[in-house]
Amino acid sequence: MIDSALSSFGAQVILSASSDENYPPENIIDGNTESFWISTGMFPQEFIFRFTDTVKMSLINIHSYNVKNLRIEKSTSSDATDFEVIAQKEFEHTEGHLQENDFSLSGTTATHLRFIITSGYDHFVSVHRVAIEGTR
Amino acid sequence: MVKLRAKCILVGDASVGKSALSQMFRSDGGHFQKNYSMTAGAELVVKSVSIPDSGDSVELFIVDSGGKETFVEACEKLWGQPSVLCLVFDVSSEASFRNCGLWLERVRAHCQGLQVPGVLVGNKSDLSSRREVETAVAQEWARSQGLEYHETSAKEMENCEAPFLSLARAFYALYQDRIQTIQTLA
Repeated sequence: MIDSALSSFGAQVILSASSDENYPPENIIDGNTESFWISTGMFPQEFIFRFTDTVKMSLINIHSYNVKNLRIEKSTSSDATDFEVIAQKEFEHTEGHLQENDFSLSGTTATHLRFIITSGYDHFVSVHRVAIEGTR
Repeated sequence: MVKLRAKCILVGDASVGKSALSQMFRSDGGHFQKNYSMTAGAELVVKSVSIPDSGDSVELFIVDSGGKETFVEACEKLWGQPSVLCLVFDVSSEASFRNCGLWLERVRAHCQGLQVPGVLVGNKSDLSSRREVETAVAQEWARSQGLEYHETSAKEMENCEAPFLSLARAFYALYQDRIQTIQTLA
């Protein structure tokens, strides 16, 4: 099943390269596409989630705006080291509605996920929701 | 409270006073280098600017690119996805003003269709007897290119902050605008 609120997987944001206190990175994992995190200028931008347990993932679904290139990395260590790339993609530009993108993964396991936005269609990009389908 | 970050590309012909201007801005008017030393490659100046009445600020990462042709190509590698642009000429050099169009073209090639707020700066306004570019002419050209015009004298510490403050404000305004847009999407 798809778990809309990543926070129910026990996910926590442990790093974010930008933060406007009105739009904190926790908004990415609250399961709601109305709340969002926004970058505050320049690229690359990144954020890292930590899960309480190892999670086995089959799909990552992302709602965003103006993101151009995104790379997803994972770590299976307990201390957020040794990240390896699991997916990267150039998103299509959308106007007037959010970008929605899926990344299919074949049961990849992770304790940490790192999202690196290397470029955008605007100076500022927003991420509204990251949801994953998987099991703990 | 938010701190934005903006990459500011500082360009213009060699010896128009780009480094003098950025150093004056960085040091709050405390440091004017009397002897010319050509910037080979690029220098990075970082300074935070507060946005009045907001508690917010914009941290400018000023990429001061050497204006000499030999160095430009190497500098261009650092211009990717610029946030704001500061284009400088010397009011006592008609040639440096004429080249502004070329500089603008060069920078725009790196903007990938992004709206990049910019200022045109006529530096060395203290050299009034040797002035070759009239304020009105520069102002008119700036307007036609969507740039805000400022005159400065890095030597006399005049107005050196203004162009950077204006860029910080424009970038901040862009941020506010984008947040509004994004709020309507969700």
